[in-house]
Amino acid sequence: MSEPLLSIRNMSKIFGGLVAVDDVSLEVRRGEVVGLLGDNGAGKSTLIKCVSGVYQAEEGEIVFEGAPVTFANPMDARRVGIETIYQDLALANNLDVGANIFLGREVKKRRLGGLMQTLDDKFMLKESRQTLDSLQIRFPTLTNPIEKLSGGQRQAVAIARAVYWDAKLMIMDEPTNNLGVPEQHKVLELIRTLKDRGVPVILITHVLPDAFAVTDRVIVMHRGRKVTEKITAQTNAGELVQYMVGAREDAAA
Amino acid sequence: MRKTSLMAMAAGLVLALASQGAEAAEKLKIGFLPGVVDPFYQVMQLGVEKAAKDLGVDVVTQIPPTWGVEAQTPLLDAMVARGDLNYIITAPTDKDQMVGPLQAAVDHGIKVITVDTFLGDGDYVKGPVKFPISYIGSDNTEGGRIAARGLAKAIGGKGTVYINSTNPNVSSVEGREKGFKEEMAKDFPDVKVLGPDYNLDDANKATQQTAAVLAREPNLAGAFGTNVFSAQGAGTAVVNAGLGGHVQVVAYDATKQAIELMDKGVVSLVLAQKPFDMGYMAVMFAAADAAGVTSLPRRVETGFAIIDKENVKDPAVARFIYRVPGK
Amino acid sequence: MTERASRLALSHAASPPGVLTPAQRAALFLSRIWAWVFLAAMVLFFVVAVPLTTGGSVNFLTVRNSQNILVAIIPVLLLGLGQTFVIIAAGIDLSVGWVMSLASVLSALALRGVFNSGVPLFPSVLVGLAAGVGGAAVVGFVNGVIIAKLKVPAFIVTLGTSFIVRGVAYLMSENTTVIGLPSGIRAYGNDALIYHIGGEGGGLYFLHRPEVSGELLRRMDIILPYPVVVTAFVVAWAMFLLHKTQFGRHTYAIGGSMDAAVRSGIPVDRHIIELYMLSAATSGVAGFLSTLRYTAGSAVIGDPLLLSSIAAVIIGGVSMFGGAGTVIGTVIGALIIAVLTTGLVMLNVDAFWQFIVVGAVVIVAVLIDQSRDLIMARAGGRVRR
Repeated sequence: MSEPLLSIRNMSKIFGGLVAVDDVSLEVRRGEVVGLLGDNGAGKSTLIKCVSGVYQAEEGEIVFEGAPVTFANPMDARRVGIETIYQDLALANNLDVGANIFLGREVKKRRLGGLMQTLDDKFMLKESRQTLDSLQIRFPTLTNPIEKLSGGQRQAVAIARAVYWDAKLMIMDEPTNNLGVPEQHKVLELIRTLKDRGVPVILITHVLPDAFAVTDRVIVMHRGRKVTEKITAQTNAGELVQYMVGAREDAAA
Repeated sequence: MRKTSLMAMAAGLVLALASQGAEAAEKLKIGFLPGVVDPFYQVMQLGVEKAAKDLGVDVVTQIPPTWGVEAQTPLLDAMVARGDLNYIITAPTDKDQMVGPLQAAVDHGIKVITVDTFLGDGDYVKGPVKFPISYIGSDNTEGGRIAARGLAKAIGGKGTVYINSTNPNVSSVEGREKGFKEEMAKDFPDVKVLGPDYNLDDANKATQQTAAVLAREPNLAGAFGTNVFSAQGAGTAVVNAGLGGHVQVVAYDATKQAIELMDKGVVSLVLAQKPFDMGYMAVMFAAADAAGVTSLPRRVETGFAIIDKENVKDPAVARFIYRVPGK
Repeated sequence: MTERASRLALSHAASPPGVLTPAQRAALFLSRIWAWVFLAAMVLFFVVAVPLTTGGSVNFLTVRNSQNILVAIIPVLLLGLGQTFVIIAAGIDLSVGWVMSLASVLSALALRGVFNSGVPLFPSVLVGLAAGVGGAAVVGFVNGVIIAKLKVPAFIVTLGTSFIVRGVAYLMSENTTVIGLPSGIRAYGNDALIYHIGGEGGGLYFLHRPEVSGELLRRMDIILPYPVVVTAFVVAWAMFLLHKTQFGRHTYAIGGSMDAAVRSGIPVDRHIIELYMLSAATSGVAGFLSTLRYTAGSAVIGDPLLLSSIAAVIIGGVSMFGGAGTVIGTVIGALIIAVLTTGLVMLNVDAFWQFIVVGAVVIVAVLIDQSRDLIMARAGGRVRR
């Protein structure tokens, strides 16, 4: 087995008196989809925010590509290649697809001998189209504000953005929430495409069928603790539910 | 007297023009642009309209909703852009800032007559601004002196008095402040003058400012409001403080409120200007100038009616109270 | 689901969510261009009504009147330009009118001081410009820092600074007005690129005012006064900035989703500070131009302008919720207000009607903006906000 891309070691995060994440360790390898399961309040989101630089953990360390890293803010995490797609997608709905994929990292063209710089919308549109094509995402037009797109389509834009900027690890927080069934399928399809391209994905979800559809491994959290870790093919829904509600717990998960 | 001869001339002119009006090839068109909506200018508008009717000229009136060059200039520019006006009768809202915009009107061949307020120093013969045909208004410095004497008398020649005014750099109220202070300094050394505070043509603010001064100066003996809003504010503040009769108020401008306050014993003296005369005479001057009259005086003082408790019921005086028929 | 099937599913969903009917499409189109249509209709109305009511002696569509309208929109437009950026970024700047006043006072003081110390007129005017715009930008910087760094709502901050700025302008001026400026600046504030005298004995003159009088003077049209030219440059620059540069893109992004902008690594705090500096700076230009026009600095010059400028921005289609709007829209909005004022004066209608019409148009503008979302929602699309 290959060297893990990401290792989280003994991480704890405390809010006031509440231990939101309690001594959790996990690893993610290249080309692997890991499901992070748990009920509301299990600590999944807090754990992930510590990895993506939103929160700073009190204890534990993060090792990424073999080197320990610390993230003071989300940009630090993105810089090393950890892209997080939250439920709200962090897209500007009033801008078009190209503008969103390049948001904050716009490509500029020099004009008048460098005296001023204008946006190179043509280039950004071309690159956006290529990326979407490579992910087999097709929109009729890329120049409308994305508020006119469906939820699944916007999810796809967010994923395309991460892919374009060479995400080494993708974290997705409940990506199928609020989507229609066909769109859920397409998002899961995209996760498989990412896996095929060698980009590992941490999929946070409480929807078990989603987890069984795409993950290689699942980790279940309950009340801030990691209660089990299973190969997806070697477990079943009934077993996982027991872990999720706290009825079962592995000794040294 | 100068005034009577002027009036005689006016009467003659009216008759001459009225008979001539019918055959005039092109009707004279005059724009009237006062300073702001208030009873003073509304009465002036009555004078303008009456003269226009008597003389058979057309008048286009625009009244700025608030006082200031930024409110007055766009209306002025639009009047100039009409392209059909021969004269503009206006009360400049600033004696310096309105020079440019009015010069632009002159550049387009429109002649300017200023009423109530003037441009520059008001001397259109020797002063810095010469283009207006004439200034027709009160001798505001003299008005300020009259107000000073009236107030000094009412408070017994000593004590502290306060001036509330509208805007700085407006020729009319500036003259009133100046005359008031000069007269007090010269003849009433025992009267101490505070202010002026500027209410920017807002009666509420004038009330507030006067109330604050009343609180600060418990021995305040009198107040001078230099125009409609200032006098309203000063009077209201004195009434609100329950000091009616203890603090004497002299009001410039004979609004109905000022007269009511006089009835209540708050206001001891009201200086009525003659806005009707100003408006009427300005139209007359325009008509005369158009007819080729070359010896129009460059400055006409329309005088005052001084109203106090004794004469307020006298019809000869009461006719100078600003009355605007309801629209 | 096979890959083919899932792709079919997406491409089905991707055809615009809920196709618009032709009627909805037409309504949507109209909702985008209504301000243009309204402006055109209003001009048409005045073109017909003005000669009718004046017996043909006055015409609305004249060179002189067009120039007059261009001059009249300057302060409202310049105040609205910076405001356009700020509101697109979901902010608001209530201090613009008073910043304009402060800039007027500062530019007058600087211009007078420098000129009186022996500097020639033109450089003195430039110093006046720098002082006005620079002083304004300082206020904008303070606004921006308090809003961005201390997280105080923009409404409160700019309300507060507008009072402070007002007081400072009064104190710095000499009783609200700064006079004694070199009389030569009147030419900068009122002269024009082109003079045209139509008819016999007339002609075309460039860059200098022909020495004529009487009938010729009456026929002279003053075309493109310098302040109009300066304002046109500022408008062109603002269009470029908003629609062609990264700065503009980030402005839209912040207004569309502050969260997305932050997480995309846009330096949001710095950008907000720059936005308020920009807003103050265009107000500063307005103050400077008013100093030239009136040959005096005035601490009250911008008093009545705040609400008109915001009205122009809203009529122009900038969403008060941020994220949408254009510079040209604000120009149209300012034009609508100016055309209305001028037209009503020409019709000899009370100037107060202007308030009623502008107020109604502002509300209609917002209703149309909302109806756009409604049409989209009916058609099954997503609704912003």
